[in-house]
Amino acid sequence: MPSLRSRLVTLVGWLALVGVIATVWLGLFVTPDAVGFPDGLVRLLYVHPPMAWVAFVAYGMAFLSSLLYLWPRTRDMRFDRLAGASAEVGVVFTGLTLVTGSLWGRPTWGVWWTWDPLLTTTALLFVLYLGYLALRRVPGDPEAVAGRSAIAALIAFVDVPVVYFSVSWWRSLHQAPTVDFTGRHLYVHGSMAWTMLLGFVSFTLAYAWMTARRYRLASLAVQQEDEGLAHAIAERRAEGRVLV
Amino acid sequence: MSPYIEAGYAVVLATLGVYAASLASRERSARRRLGTKASPPAARPAQLERQLLDGAGDGAPGADDLEAGA
Amino acid sequence: MLRDAALVAGKDLRIELRSRVALNQVVPFAAAVVLLFGLALGPDRSVLAPAAAGLFWIAVLLSALLATQRSFAVESADGARDGLRLSGLDPAGIFLGKVGAVVAELLVLEVLLAFGVAVLYGAHLAGALVLLGSCLAASIGLGAVGIVYGAVASGLRVRETLLPLLILPVAAPVLLGATKAWDEALRGTPSHALGWLSLLAVFAVVYVAIGVVAFGPLLEDA
Repeated sequence: MPSLRSRLVTLVGWLALVGVIATVWLGLFVTPDAVGFPDGLVRLLYVHPPMAWVAFVAYGMAFLSSLLYLWPRTRDMRFDRLAGASAEVGVVFTGLTLVTGSLWGRPTWGVWWTWDPLLTTTALLFVLYLGYLALRRVPGDPEAVAGRSAIAALIAFVDVPVVYFSVSWWRSLHQAPTVDFTGRHLYVHGSMAWTMLLGFVSFTLAYAWMTARRYRLASLAVQQEDEGLAHAIAERRAEGRVLV
Repeated sequence: MSPYIEAGYAVVLATLGVYAASLASRERSARRRLGTKASPPAARPAQLERQLLDGAGDGAPGADDLEAGA
Repeated sequence: MLRDAALVAGKDLRIELRSRVALNQVVPFAAAVVLLFGLALGPDRSVLAPAAAGLFWIAVLLSALLATQRSFAVESADGARDGLRLSGLDPAGIFLGKVGAVVAELLVLEVLLAFGVAVLYGAHLAGALVLLGSCLAASIGLGAVGIVYGAVASGLRVRETLLPLLILPVAAPVLLGATKAWDEALRGTPSHALGWLSLLAVFAVVYVAIGVVAFGPLLEDA
């Protein structure tokens, strides 16, 4: 008998799947080409900004749950698992942000990469959270692992605005920011706006589903470890009894 | 349509699909490992304790009890 | 707290003075890095001189990694960590002390490296106040990040490989700010460096604050 929570996760998963398929269908085949975008490149806007958005949500979630873990009154291993799950999904989406951004930049600006503040910050974030995940993977006493991971998440998140600010300042000395999505949004309307909204919603649902599944996986691993321990203890006891 | 668009959609769908599938398969194997090794985790230590205490009287090897119980 | 900090900093610096690991290993390492940059970019001074600031700070960053590793290697032998934990010193004081020691080492290294850069790359050292100010602020920032992450990773068997991965991306704003400040100073427009100096100062303050708060729990956990 599946619990309410696992049924909810399943529901979210199906909604995400349907939403993503609909976004792809609408984005590739239904929506019109926009003026000012060569080769229908506007279609990448249905996936690229949602990737970046989800990555941001994921890191925000990891940061919040790390804070909750560090706060003595709300200290709970569940927050640690949530932070780890969310950060891992965030890294996947950050990677996708970089790849789709690059695929956008090549035909638009003629280069795979430009040292734009957003791009540079995203790339640094990617490396930063890869380091965080590497730190999490180092085995040890669960409480100690959780404590140091939470502090690392805190440091990483605090670094984001500093990096963004410094990089944009660095670039502003040379040229105006190249990416201006906000300006473009003004020309987006009708089916395109709906598709974009659907993209945001369904990829966010996909994030929620993945984080929930990753969290459950972490819980299972903990359970397994506990059981292994209980098993070993029981075995040792049994051995002792045989000797007696 | 530009190949960049197709590549972008393909990368996104493939990556998310592979990641989701890996989550599901890792969870399945974790459950399988848990399932073969044990009954519900909370009950387990107490149950073992009881088994061992019962087994102590008739001198049955405790380790065998364990295997049977699991 | 400050008295504790002075105690710990004095201890760390005394160890360095006696063991000479920093002098015999970190400084030559930084010199090797600076030489290799020269080889990589070629002997052309018109290439090397404009890149001097960036190369200098990359060399400092890499050396700072070694310095923080060293700062915790000192504590790992003979249960020194437990001694530190049981000493009754304020954890914030321990943190500040260790940062202070690393900053002092880095400053010495930076002075030596600056001469190396001036000689090898033909960089003209100007705007001494900006150069020194950015060295101080950047070293404090690097030291603070390094010591916090050093504590995070201390006692882990994979410390040597993990620590650089953790520190380098976080230290990116320091590299950027310090390089730009030096660039402006070397180009003879030190007044343009003030913004970058304040960025370095903000970074240093933020990470010193995080370290002061987080070091106690880290020391207990590990």
